[in-house]
Amino acid sequence: MVTTAPVAPANRPRTLMVGTMFATSAALMFFGGLFSIYLSVRSDTLAWGAEWFPEGAISLLPGGMNMATMALSAVTMAWAVYSILNNDRVHAYLAILVTGILGVAVINQTVFYFMDIAIPVDYNEAAVLFYVIIGAHLVMVGLGVFWLGLLLLRTLGGQDTAQHRDLVSSAALYWYATVAVYSFIWLFIYIGK
Amino acid sequence: MSENTTVIERAVTTTDPALLSRYWIGAAGLGLFLSIGVGFLAALERLDLSTASIFDGADVIFQLWSAHRVGLVLLAVLPLILGLATAVVPRQVGASSLAFPRMAAAGFWVWLFGAAITVTGFAVDGGVGAPGATSQTQAVAITLVGIMMVLLGIGATTICVLTTVVAGRSSGMSLGDVPAFSWSMLVAGTMWMLTLPVLMGNLLLVYVDLRGRSAVRFGAEEAIWEQLSWAFTNPQVYLWALPLLGIVADIIPVSVKAKLNTNRMFGAICLLGFVGFGAYAQTYFDLGTPVRQEAFSVAAAFVAVLAMLMALGALAGSLRNGAKETDASSATPLVLAMLSLLLLLVGTVVGALNAVESLDLAGTSAIGAQMIFTLAAMLVGMVAGLSWWGDLVAGRATPQRPLLITGLLLTLGLGLVGVADLINGFNGLNDFTGAVLSEAGNSGSAVDTLNLIVVIGLGMALVGALNGMISGCQHLRSSEPAVANPWGGTTLEWSDNEGSA
Repeated sequence: MVTTAPVAPANRPRTLMVGTMFATSAALMFFGGLFSIYLSVRSDTLAWGAEWFPEGAISLLPGGMNMATMALSAVTMAWAVYSILNNDRVHAYLAILVTGILGVAVINQTVFYFMDIAIPVDYNEAAVLFYVIIGAHLVMVGLGVFWLGLLLLRTLGGQDTAQHRDLVSSAALYWYATVAVYSFIWLFIYIGK
Repeated sequence: MSENTTVIERAVTTTDPALLSRYWIGAAGLGLFLSIGVGFLAALERLDLSTASIFDGADVIFQLWSAHRVGLVLLAVLPLILGLATAVVPRQVGASSLAFPRMAAAGFWVWLFGAAITVTGFAVDGGVGAPGATSQTQAVAITLVGIMMVLLGIGATTICVLTTVVAGRSSGMSLGDVPAFSWSMLVAGTMWMLTLPVLMGNLLLVYVDLRGRSAVRFGAEEAIWEQLSWAFTNPQVYLWALPLLGIVADIIPVSVKAKLNTNRMFGAICLLGFVGFGAYAQTYFDLGTPVRQEAFSVAAAFVAVLAMLMALGALAGSLRNGAKETDASSATPLVLAMLSLLLLLVGTVVGALNAVESLDLAGTSAIGAQMIFTLAAMLVGMVAGLSWWGDLVAGRATPQRPLLITGLLLTLGLGLVGVADLINGFNGLNDFTGAVLSEAGNSGSAVDTLNLIVVIGLGMALVGALNGMISGCQHLRSSEPAVANPWGGTTLEWSDNEGSA
């Protein structure tokens, strides 16, 4: 006997959220793998008594500034979600715009630090990992800013409301993951060195 | 779409899951043929271990050997699975279409270009490094970019399939009601999404270290394969074969008209998925004891055998209860499903043997034997799946005989390779034999004979892959209409099969 259950609606409300959840998990595993390699190679190198980063090469200031900026952007992202939930479009514009600007600020600070830091990428294993992890995070932030720009345009067009908030919720999930990844960068690379 | 669009425009811009499924399967068929072909060439060199008699030294042989493994997984097995899943999963769960159809289409094209770049990279003396580090660095970098694109494409399509199962299910269908193949795709896809990004991270690290300067460590050519090999060996290789359990769990109960113990089967799929997580088994994590000799790794190898026995127990119940009701028309998928299960069981047993330190099989050809048994299981399972769901995929009646021949040739050919490599492993033959006698581990007459069997086996598999491609083309050109429900299936994919050509 053939089952004749009804066909699902064309687009379930949480489809984008579920897809973003899988994509964000993949991004977290990408960084998880890199952090694991970083910690394991660092532990091995230090156990042999070799140098990891040269003394004074990694400054806490740019890392700390970026961490503060990212943390602030998590708050503004939550503000955007809250505003959309309350159909408060003016605050939603403002929150998305500020979050995007904070993202651009992180990119700016990181690029400046890359130009300023005196460690070439082929200096040692630590340098390669430093540039790969922070560079990959830079790309993640860039994608987030692009997404926020798209979101802003949609919100300006009135397409995101309390009833249709999946894009905002998904963008927020992705952005929180971006902030979470940076907190590990700050902890393992800038503080732990 | 406008009626003025050309055939090429329509082909390139399509988001139709049935058509994308055919693209995946067609391209993967070519990938399979190429992968087995390069494996055959590498095996030819093994016939005479005393010297590099055919190719120019160990580095070229290594490139062929590694291309065989990378190709089998990333250019053949995974795309074949995704091809079948793209067509079958939305129908099984009652979704109107695949979730994010544009992303699914983009995933295929990114994979295809990535695959082309990967093949080009291997062809121009690149690949994933070489023991003598004499390959072209630029070509190695190109290969790495190609593999990263392949992973991106696979990842994007996997997300579409997963989202379809989770968020696109028919209303009233809980996750426990999802048919076995969709369930296996949910578990396998989730595990792929947790491990493929780690491989991507490895590749990026290698690429950045390799590109444009002398490598510090990660991009050193002689070390690249060592770092990436976890994705092509035990236990990760089980994740590539996991959907096989879903395929056979859909085929066998319907063929014998008996119920399946779904709880036990779904449990077995989850267990094998859990122990198949292999991202931890990297050489970077070897601090003191190699990670493959750690207790968890050894225990996981044995739990994989238990998971297989659990799955076999669930299926044996169906076979016992319904053997008398077996319909002869479903002989092809049924036989191939049973053969694929047998291959996977052997694969898990060989994996467990490899984990026993006292057998001293680490680094021997028994490692390759386990990979071959497991991937062969998935390939034969895929042929069974195409025989079962071929009407849905192609929208035309599926000729069973060519698929049976393809499946039998793959089983026999790759089975011979696996058995010969396993015995050679016990003889001490190295997994990569190189071109120098002293590096082969063992070059006795018994090994030479078994190496000949490997060549014969790969030759048979090559003929099987070619037969599959030819019969696939003939199938698509056939005008015989699809049968609405050829097997009397009760899952949703059979409820509206009007032929999707």
